[in-house]
Order: sequence, then C-alpha cells, then structure tokens
Amino acid sequence: MEVSTAANPPAAAAPARFGEVYDRGYAHYEGPRLGRRHAIWALIVYSVKRALGIKKSWTAKVIPIILYVGVSLPVIVGIGIRAFLPSAKVLQYPTFFGLIFTIEGIFVATVAPEMLCGDRRENVLPLYFSRAITRLDYLVAKLIATAILTLTISFVPALILWLGFQLLEKYPLTAMWHHLGDLGHIAVAGTLIAFYLGAGGLTIASFTGRKSVAVAVTIILFLSSTVLAQALFHAVSSGIRRYFVFISTPQTVIGLVNGLFNTRSDPMVSAANFSVWIYIIAMSAVVLIGCAIMYWRYVPHD
Amino acid sequence: MATTATASSPELITPTGEILGPPVIETRGLTKIYGGVVALDRLDLSVPRAAIGLLGPNGAGKTTLLRLLLGLAKPDAGSAEVLGFDTATQGLDIRAHVGYMPESDCLPPGATAADFVGHMAEMSGLPGRQARQRAADVLYQVGLDEERYRLIKGFSTGMKQRVKLAQAIVHDPSLVFLDEPTAGLDPPGREDMLALITRIHHSLGITVVVSTHILEDVERVCDYVVILNGGRLVLAQPLRELGGSGGDLLVRVDGNPELFLARLAQQGIVGATAPDAYGNGWGELLIPNTGDRAYDAIRDVAAELHLPLRTLRRRERSLEDVYLGNFENGTANGNRNGQ
Repeated sequence: MEVSTAANPPAAAAPARFGEVYDRGYAHYEGPRLGRRHAIWALIVYSVKRALGIKKSWTAKVIPIILYVGVSLPVIVGIGIRAFLPSAKVLQYPTFFGLIFTIEGIFVATVAPEMLCGDRRENVLPLYFSRAITRLDYLVAKLIATAILTLTISFVPALILWLGFQLLEKYPLTAMWHHLGDLGHIAVAGTLIAFYLGAGGLTIASFTGRKSVAVAVTIILFLSSTVLAQALFHAVSSGIRRYFVFISTPQTVIGLVNGLFNTRSDPMVSAANFSVWIYIIAMSAVVLIGCAIMYWRYVPHD
Repeated sequence: MATTATASSPELITPTGEILGPPVIETRGLTKIYGGVVALDRLDLSVPRAAIGLLGPNGAGKTTLLRLLLGLAKPDAGSAEVLGFDTATQGLDIRAHVGYMPESDCLPPGATAADFVGHMAEMSGLPGRQARQRAADVLYQVGLDEERYRLIKGFSTGMKQRVKLAQAIVHDPSLVFLDEPTAGLDPPGREDMLALITRIHHSLGITVVVSTHILEDVERVCDYVVILNGGRLVLAQPLRELGGSGGDLLVRVDGNPELFLARLAQQGIVGATAPDAYGNGWGELLIPNTGDRAYDAIRDVAAELHLPLRTLRRRERSLEDVYLGNFENGTANGNRNGQ
C-alpha cells in the first residue's frame, strides 16, 4: 500500500487505486496567499450565494425564485407578443422599468437585510474583522454583492428584452447597431437603479440585526415615500414643490427612466421638469450618503 | 499579490524554561482609555514564542489587549508589535499571520462547518480549491470530520467551539489568540479542548495565547503566563519559574514544635506557623523564606534543641497562590515584568 501525505498528494494524473492510504496529519500550508482583493471577492461571492439561498434550506430559495419568475414574465410576454405582432409597440423600455420596479423594491428589501443583518445578528463580524480586510473592504464587498444581485433583476431582464427585440428583426445585427442608444440607456438605468436601491436597502439594514425589522422598514419607507412626496407636492404651491419628487423613490426612478428614454408617464415627474442629469446626480448622491452612513455605522468609535 | 506562506517557528521556550528568540508580542507603555475608564495602563510586556496564558478577572483588560494586538483598535498612548509588525500601522499584516477565536458565539447557524471554515480560509487569501481542502483537513484535525457537512445550528457547544478553533487555524497562522476557549463546555468537552490547544502548540508549532480567567486551564496548557488586573500588568514570566520564586519553607521536626517556633522567633524568623494538626509531632511547619538566614536559623535551632530535622523543603507555589497573592496585594507589586 502506498502512503501519501496531505502536503504531497499523489499526482493528479495517476489513477486512484483501491486501498490507498493517506496520512492526514497536519501539514503547514505552503500554497499561494492571494491577499485583500481575493478576500473581498470571496466575501462578494459568499454573500451573493447566501442571499439567493444557495446551500441553504429550500425555504430560503422561495422568495428569490418567485421574484426572478415575476421579473421574467414581462420579458417573455413582451418578446412573445413582438414575435407574433411585429408592429405592436406593447412593451416599451420605460413601461418595462415601471412594471418591474415594485419587484425590484421587494427584491432589495429582502436581499439587503440578508447581506448585513445576518453577520451582525450572528456575531460573525469579529471573525471577518480579524481577517486581513478593513471595515471599508467589508462594506464595499456587501455593496457590490447587493448591486450584482439587483443588476440581475433590473439590468439583465431589460438587456434580454432588448436582445429579444433585435433578434426578432429581419436583420438582427443591423437592428442592434441602430438601437445601441437604447442599450446604453438600459445600462445606465439598470446600473443606477441597482446602486440606488441597493445603497438605500443596505443603509436601513445597517441599523439593525433583525432581518424582519429591516425588511418591514424598507418596504414601509418605500411605500410611504411616494405618499409623502405626493402630499407635499399638492400641499405646497411655491416653486420648491418640484424638489419633493426626490423624496419618492419610485418617482425618482421614473424621472430617470423618462429622462433617458424621453417619455412622460407621471404627472408629478412631468411637473417637476428636471433634466435627466439632475436625477443622475440625485441618485448618485443618495448612494454616496448611504455609503457614508454605513461607514459611520461600521467604523469603530474608539 | 500572491505571497508564499512561511512555516511557523517551533516553540522557543526550552524545557528548562529558558527563553530563546525574539519576542512574539512586545508592548511599550501601551495605554487604552474608553470614555475616561483606563482599560490598559502603560503596559510594558515582552512575550516569547510559547503557549501563553493571559489571565485576569473580568475587566482586567484582556479583551482590550487582544483588540489592540490584532490592530482592531488604536492605542491612546504607547505602541505594540506582534510578530514584528506594528499594530498601529500594520494591522492587516498582523491579521494575515494571526488567527482569532472569539469568546462569543459567532458562527452562522445556517451554514455547514465545511462551507464556513472554507469561506474563512478564502477570506484569509487562500484560493478556493485550497481553501476547501484546508477546511476539510483542519476540521478533521479538530475532530469534526464526519460532521463537517452538517448545519452548524445542529451542533453542540463543544462542536461549535471546535469550528471556531478550526476557522482560527485554517490559514495556518503563526500565532493564534483564543479568547475563553473552554467557556460553556462540560468537563469532557473542556478536556478535549485543552488537549486540542496543547496539540496546536506542541505538535503544529503554532504560538498560542489563551485568554481566560480559569487558572487550571493555563496550568494545563501554557508554559508562560501574563496576569493583568485593572489594566495593569501584574506578572509576566514562564510558568516554571512561579514555583521557585520565593516559596515558603516547609519543615518537619520531631519533638516539641512550639519550642522550635519560639526559638526561631528569637532568632528573628517571625511569622512561622504550624498550619497542620501537630499533636503527634509529624506535621509540617510553614516558615517564611527569607533566604540563607532562614536556612541557617532552622539548622541552628534544630541542633540547639536536639530535634531531628526530618524535612526541609521549599513549598511550591501554584499559579493560584501567585494569582491570589497578587490580587490580595492589589497591584502593589507594580508593573513587574518577569523577563
């Protein structure tokens, strides 16, 4: 019988033989150590998996599956109708973003608490911070993980819709070339919405260790922001009222999408009459403020 | 940036207690204040590569010291080095070479032991495949081979402690901090954990710092002890030197012990007592060790009274004697560094 050590396993090419004995005594690790970037990437991948319920019980997978199915339906229906009725303009991109916005909101409300609350509640943070990463690295990893997930529900379905529409054209490559502008607008809208909603959800989640509380607060703020903005918009008659559009999360996103695709679909957004750049700046500011609050929450005050 | 791991050095305290090599932890005037409360007060410490027991009551400053040594908090004054890295500026380097097992429950219940320990290995920079392999190997080493694919929420306290230990050593650190590693364990679990810690140090060559308030744990697994109280250093020295550092003398003589004690008092040896029942003349007298003067007085008095001197030996001080003695005297001994 051949004896191999854990540090020196038999060559991979050699076929495994029955009855081989391995010495599993402790061996010092002498392989590569990849540093901080690898650690941050490992945290991103692990966080994405856990948020999607991968390697967790089936109950953890139910909500993500339902939401992905929910966001896929408009894409399938839109492409299907276009396939049978090429002249029908049933699902324009602004309409699509409006349709999936509620699903995106619910998705972020469930994913963001999964990112931060678990680590806080289960007291895993001391283990992470005893590794060779900084607290800022941790937050960056969580923000990127949330953005990646939100992109899969905001940008990716819109991209598939765009691709489907172009493939149904008589000359798909020519159609793609002619509609590159739409693709750019989809990319800007999808990415900005992902970071805007993700940062908002994570900021709320950074204040509690209880997932249920974070989910409830996110949904309540999400819904109440529109009601509050509408109430203030109608109560105030001076020029300042146009700025109340930024209080409402849905209206801000609608303003961005309308500005990018040059459409008008919301009276309040139309009345506010801001250029798309103002919406981009406002949403970017929300992302930065959210990051600053999270940094303050996670930096030790000693 | 890929770097190659360095193998841990073997212990540098010899069987006779001699300290070799550079210190693994060194602090100079290390001070930490939380809202007016001095958690650490001008700590001067130099600790060799060994199995180190960090002792002290609650609030002594043990956890604060660990946080400072890991580079997770900044000192208000003074400086510290761990493995030659400055804690104030090289916290990331320190944490790359150090493992940490916290006292609190810190494991995600919804993950399997293999997944979580593998993830922690990746967080320490190990590539995915190697991380999974290391996780399997280390979990085997801590006795969780069969259970590694079970969810942690189904684990007993002892098994959770093993997972915590596994994640602390999975990246093959040179030094590992264990905060109250036997907390909450039943006697068999405690025995197993102490055996594991001993193995980590003696067999795996990893320098171990065990922070605890259980004296017996330190006596069992450590060969160097650091005692803190109220944020100040009470004592830091090899455990072997404790017994030989001025223990009282135990003397047994035949005949009349009261007369023996009275004559000793006349010779200037005061404070001698007969702690045991002494009616039959076979108990032992406890005599303060004042050095050569005490030995000379005992010899002279025994000869003068013609009392057979049956026993003359130094009473070995246990860690408990030292610990309690220091706390009865407060920190009267000052910042005494045994080195």
